[in-house]
Amino acid sequence: MNAELQTQIAFRLAGRKPAAGAEGGGAGLRPALLARCRDLTALRYDFPLVLARGVADKDSAQCLSAIVDEVVHRVAGEDNAERVTRHLLRLEREIRALIAGGARGTLAALWDDAAARLAGGDASLDDSLKRGRKALKVDGVLADCDESLPALMLKHAWGVVRENKTRRLGEDLRRLTIGLSNVLRADAARSEAGRSAEGLKASIGAGHAEVFDFAAMSRLLAKSASRDGLPAGRRRRLESLLEVLEAQRFAPVPDEPQTQDRCYAFTFGSCAEAVAAYRERLPKALELARSMAIAELEVKGEYREAAHDALFADFGEGDLAQEALAGFPDYLICMSADALHGAETDRLMELLSAGLPVKVLVQTDDLLEESTIARDGHFALGMRAKQLASMAMGLNDVYVLQSASSNLFQFRDRILAGMAYAGPALFSVYSGAAGDAGGLPPYLLAAAAMESRAFPAYSYDPSAGPNWASRFDLEANTQVEADWPSQEFAYEDENHQRVQSAPAFTFADFVACDPRHARHFARVARADWNDGMVPLEEHLRRGAAGAGEALPYVMLVDAEGRLQRAIVDEPLVRATLRCRESWHSLQELGGIHNSHAERLLAKQAAAPQPAAEPVVEAAVPKEEIPAEAEAKPSTDDPYIETPRCTTCNECTQINDKMFAYNENKQAYVANPDAGTYAQLVEAAESCQVSIIHPGKPRNPDEPGLAELQERAAAFA
Amino acid sequence: MNTATECLLRLVEEHHELEDYQGGVPRWCTGCGDNAILAAVQRLCRDENLRPEKTVFVSGIGCSSRFPHYMRTYGFHGIHGRALPLAEGVKMSRPDLQVFVNTGDGDCCSIGAAHWIHALRYNMNMTLMLHDNQVYGLTKMQASPTSPKGTKTNTSPRGSYLEALNPLTVTLGVQNVSFVAQVVDWIPEILYDVISAAYHHKGFSFIRIIQRCPEWLPKMFEPVLHDTNRVLLLHHEDGLHLSDGLARTYRKQLEHDPSDIHRAREIASGTDPIPVGILYRNPEVPCYEETRHAGQLTTAGRVRGALEAELDKYTVWPQQA
Amino acid sequence: MNDTTMLPQAEKPVVTLKEHIVEIISDSGEGAQRCGQSLGSIAARMGNGIWTVEIIPAEIRPPARSVAGASGNRIRIGSGRITNGGDETDLVIAFNEQVLLGRVRARELKPDCTILLESMWRSHKDPAIAASYKETYDSLVAAGYKVHEVPMEKECLALVNDARRGKNMFALGMLCSIYSLDLALAREQIALTFRKKEASVVDANVRLLDAGHAWAEANLDFKYRIPATRSTEPQVVVNGNTALALGVLASGMEICAMYPITPATSASHYLSDVFEKVGGIVHQAEDEIAACAFAIGASYAGKCAVTITSGPGYSLKQEGIGLAVMGEIPLVVVNVQRGGPSTGQPTKAEQGDLLTAMFGSHGDAPKVVMAASTIEDCFYSVITARKIAETFNMVVVVLTDAGLATSQQPFPRPQFSETWLAPPIDQTPVPEGTKPYDWDPATGLARRIVPGQPNGMHTITGLAHDRQSHVAYDPDINHEALRMRSLKLATLQKTLKAPPVVGGDSGDLLIVGWGSTQGAIEEAVATLRAEGLKVSSMHLRFLQPLPPGIKEAMKRFKKVMTFESNWGDDPQDEIIDENNRRYSALAMLLRSRFLVDVDCWSEVRGQPIKPGTICRVIRERLNRKTKTLKAAQS
Repeated sequence: MNAELQTQIAFRLAGRKPAAGAEGGGAGLRPALLARCRDLTALRYDFPLVLARGVADKDSAQCLSAIVDEVVHRVAGEDNAERVTRHLLRLEREIRALIAGGARGTLAALWDDAAARLAGGDASLDDSLKRGRKALKVDGVLADCDESLPALMLKHAWGVVRENKTRRLGEDLRRLTIGLSNVLRADAARSEAGRSAEGLKASIGAGHAEVFDFAAMSRLLAKSASRDGLPAGRRRRLESLLEVLEAQRFAPVPDEPQTQDRCYAFTFGSCAEAVAAYRERLPKALELARSMAIAELEVKGEYREAAHDALFADFGEGDLAQEALAGFPDYLICMSADALHGAETDRLMELLSAGLPVKVLVQTDDLLEESTIARDGHFALGMRAKQLASMAMGLNDVYVLQSASSNLFQFRDRILAGMAYAGPALFSVYSGAAGDAGGLPPYLLAAAAMESRAFPAYSYDPSAGPNWASRFDLEANTQVEADWPSQEFAYEDENHQRVQSAPAFTFADFVACDPRHARHFARVARADWNDGMVPLEEHLRRGAAGAGEALPYVMLVDAEGRLQRAIVDEPLVRATLRCRESWHSLQELGGIHNSHAERLLAKQAAAPQPAAEPVVEAAVPKEEIPAEAEAKPSTDDPYIETPRCTTCNECTQINDKMFAYNENKQAYVANPDAGTYAQLVEAAESCQVSIIHPGKPRNPDEPGLAELQERAAAFA
Repeated sequence: MNTATECLLRLVEEHHELEDYQGGVPRWCTGCGDNAILAAVQRLCRDENLRPEKTVFVSGIGCSSRFPHYMRTYGFHGIHGRALPLAEGVKMSRPDLQVFVNTGDGDCCSIGAAHWIHALRYNMNMTLMLHDNQVYGLTKMQASPTSPKGTKTNTSPRGSYLEALNPLTVTLGVQNVSFVAQVVDWIPEILYDVISAAYHHKGFSFIRIIQRCPEWLPKMFEPVLHDTNRVLLLHHEDGLHLSDGLARTYRKQLEHDPSDIHRAREIASGTDPIPVGILYRNPEVPCYEETRHAGQLTTAGRVRGALEAELDKYTVWPQQA
Repeated sequence: MNDTTMLPQAEKPVVTLKEHIVEIISDSGEGAQRCGQSLGSIAARMGNGIWTVEIIPAEIRPPARSVAGASGNRIRIGSGRITNGGDETDLVIAFNEQVLLGRVRARELKPDCTILLESMWRSHKDPAIAASYKETYDSLVAAGYKVHEVPMEKECLALVNDARRGKNMFALGMLCSIYSLDLALAREQIALTFRKKEASVVDANVRLLDAGHAWAEANLDFKYRIPATRSTEPQVVVNGNTALALGVLASGMEICAMYPITPATSASHYLSDVFEKVGGIVHQAEDEIAACAFAIGASYAGKCAVTITSGPGYSLKQEGIGLAVMGEIPLVVVNVQRGGPSTGQPTKAEQGDLLTAMFGSHGDAPKVVMAASTIEDCFYSVITARKIAETFNMVVVVLTDAGLATSQQPFPRPQFSETWLAPPIDQTPVPEGTKPYDWDPATGLARRIVPGQPNGMHTITGLAHDRQSHVAYDPDINHEALRMRSLKLATLQKTLKAPPVVGGDSGDLLIVGWGSTQGAIEEAVATLRAEGLKVSSMHLRFLQPLPPGIKEAMKRFKKVMTFESNWGDDPQDEIIDENNRRYSALAMLLRSRFLVDVDCWSEVRGQPIKPGTICRVIRERLNRKTKTLKAAQS
């Protein structure tokens, strides 16, 4: 075994720094796959986003390129559209440049800035821009993929959902307020005041004030006036309901601007604040919800004290409150994972498990900081947010969404869904905006975290169905079936030969993005490449077998774009393994390589398959059912085919003791002995639909039986 | 309001028995088919637990139109032929009310024919029951538009001269028609099912009820009454579902999809056997009261706003000196 | 007059007038209407009293240059308040001689009327037209009219390429010059009229206005001034039908059911436009009967509803109205009267429906009948009618007529009060066993129960019924019910004040009138009293019930007569005597009710009665009477 190889193994197992050859560890290297993309502003990708207002919910987040394409599409019909298109794409690049330069604001504003920068001189350009601007129909704040994105985007989505909620709430409030005051006004109109001379005079226009003697009118009307005003109890109830409805601060009411200003704020920076606000408002919310529920009944005139007082007395407990409150705005908490220490984490978990109406964004900027309790030799990364999401899923009725910010736009509908979900929701987002990310833009770092399974994207929606299959969705991740995604990758070797390979993008590759962890890598000069070296991913697949001698490596490129192999030290290998394991468990939740399912399949494969029989429905045409099949009672007793009775009163008028109506007002033989056999026969004969069957005579001594039985025969 | 709340509220809701919907004692002749219709409707009210004070029965003139008097709900026994416009006014000013219309072959198909056609166009959410006994009863037996040609009456002693009008084909020919059914009073089970289906249909439900008049036309229905093969039962998964008992008694059956208006028109034009069941249903037709936003909330403030805005248009302000 | 000659720019003498009547007439579509309305508004803003009447041809598009096709506006401008259309016209602007002929034949022009006539026809390429023009022109001059030919077409074409669209503003400019109106106001008015159009349109019209003004200044040798007393309060200028519609809005009624009919329909057009903003609905029913029934159904279940119609439609509604009376369902029925009987004169004014309104519908069907006498009254009558209908559970018929419907007269802008509005629908439970017709034996009044009110369930019926609304088979019940429904009218009568007597409290002649004739009658009374005649007048707003104090007032006068535009036989007719004379509607009522020998004079020419006519008639009657007295003495 040559010396170089020994040092390599030493590094790999003991993390001991190699001497010459592999100096500098992984410093200045980055994953080979990221080599290509450096300048994002040249790309037309998901970002920046426009957080649009006053559009359909699903369009509340749109990406700039899509909007520009839409504009282009609109002007397509006009003349020299092709030129306009060219110019508009230039404008888009300009906007991207502005944003990259730190500019922020609404699309309209930046659009105009960019246009201003381009404009001047070229008339045709100016024309294109003018037409483009005219065709621009959406506006909203521009958001790029940086540390501010998660909060911006979630606040926006939350705002959309909240507006829908408060609009409905406000309309209900308006409807109920009017309804309640109408009851009072109607009563006032009937009241003495309404009948007073003054009241009557006021209700007649000035033009006719001299036509009437209102005192006389008032006197005469008093004679026929109804004395029954609203019961005092109800009046009090109506008035107090109105007070509550008019004082509420949860939603603006149409036509009443003042209610807009006094509405509560619902966004918070920490669980503590949110909980405090929630506790303080809960009684008010309950009172309002309760008042609205009662008002609904009152305006319909359906409130009955006897029944409803008790029902609404203990409104606070029970589903009534829960469901009513679902219509109220939810509390939004935007916090950084750094704030999640001890107490705050517990509080968060508590308010999630308590099912409070909260939507929580936990934003992680740095995924790779060393765990505070890292034992030496045991390389552990924090990943608190990651655990947070899986913990929250454990609560079963929390909507959970985990995603890197690079993927948020793809998740826009799920974000809305989470905001609209009737219950708590947790959004755990990795921004990729760590301070020292080796100059990688947040978008790339975030994407890398997702690719490498370090921070997979998934959602868990309790309202989507009864089981994991319907609730849990992992599909957003690339090559979700695989342990690691791998990409076709081509490079030139030392003698400029083009080499194709498809290296996997592992957790270690992601770590390699972060200079802080350079020491876990040892670059190996091409000269020293040897057969002991195996790609990390392959090494992990092999498992324990011969792990000892193997030298797992990842492919990195240096600043000059030269391809390097870097050996990965044991702690990082273990960390990578751990990452793969947690990915596996996610896969199982997502129904991929599900161990239970696979075992079951194996069993079935073993067992002999019975040939499946086609199920044939025994469809017998109704015509063919023999009438005899109908079970008739014994023909000795009189009976009526009650369901066929047409309530025509014929029989009941012959003898209403013998024949009576059931609860459906259809006749039956109530008491065959309440009358004569003659009456039975007469009824049978007079029955329009002939459904009365007299049966056999019950009293053998009744005169004329023979003749009667003859007549009865027709109805046997 | 939301489900659990509704459930809880329904728990404490007051329930009504069939008797709670019974008004005055019917003065129809013994054996009259109207009694069957009354019983079926009262059953419906009970089963749907309709609030008597929120339910209105509107009628015109004739035997059938006495109907509201026999219900303990609100009722409007109007004038000859005008039940429909009266009912439309009620529904327009009070969309929250449950509106039923009871009318006869003379009331609806003769003197009120214009309103019948236009009611179909308006498609307001109400249920019309056409008690069609094919004769004028209250005025003592004259030929009605639906009397079969040759019917001997006081105005046609040698038999009526014209072919009978077919209310079904007429109704199915009008734009905006949304629910058409035919029943016979002597099959209470179907009578009930159809009235119930009509009640649940959102829009104008037209039910022609072929109804016996033992007083003036005692023999008219004898044959169809006692030959179950003279009735053709229409059934469909989206229409009526026939009970076994019924299926045994009435062997002539036809599966008919109520959404198929062309087939419905064919079936409607057949009179022997009598098609019975739901011929046509289209829940998509817009309701006039909703198109016109009836029952919209208005406030004194809004009236003031609108009036002042209008007055501004026509005000000449005194010229500043 | 040769239109090229220009007068020397010497100051013209400005004649000061108390009032003047102006007409602008054209083929329909030439904008004379707009010119007239603008003139009215400008005068009103300057503080003049005005009364404008639309001149409408019967057909929608009558042939051009046809005698019957006159379309335009008639404006009476005065220094004081103007209460009616006045007498014959003083000055006419006519866009062609044929429409002018129509007015001449209708005897609408003063004998020495000034006529400004479009001169383009004189040199028209169609010789027939040119001929008829010359002929007419000569005959008019011969008849003594002061005819001035105006090259409107020519002058307008200098400014716009379609003179048909421009002449009306040119004419307005001339009128501003003739009546020394404020041009600045005129420009504002134009800006207002065309506020929905782009600026270029406004400018074009202003240029035309100025051109017309300049032309008149330069070419006309007369100029007038009608001193204005500047009004201090804002005035509303609308026609009677718009006032009606605004009244419906202000009354809080929410459903108007109608069927198209002239001249009522424009009220519904207007309402359809504005009603929905406040949750109101105009329902165009399949026919008049349905419209009435629809309104009754709506009223029965909710707030009082209204149905608006004219003569033929009103006849068709009778059975429905009877039902509302029987069921004691509040209902407002507006009848914009037109010439009858049958289809009659759809666009012409008449007061022919009074008795139908009172006694229409079979059996004893007591209902309230009101008549609007001014434009302002059209507005307030609806508010009052709604209140009365809902307070007394009665049908209230409001009568106006084609004259009011199309006339404009400024009135003080109403101060809206929320107390005008119909109260919300009462849904509170009524006590168990409450009777739907719990008639108060003294007044016949009963509380009203509306669907939705628990414990109040009952069935309204047009059959005779008892207090429970159960069909009555007992004759006493029918008798009592009729009595109760009748008592309500008496009760309402007790709440009315005696109508004021205009002029002296006593004298030789008391004129009693109703409806749209008020202005003309009172103007005539003023004129005659100025001549020393002891004439007074009394105008009735309620016709059923009749207010108190009428008999007492009549007794203070030697003679009482009515002036009405409905038929009354002329005693001068050979075959007419006291035994067969048919009196006009109101006269007949007063005679039968008060046993006073009330005389009447009536005219059914489709035109409002002129104050001058009234004066003439009264002078005749009074000295005919004095003559007979003299005869008796000698």
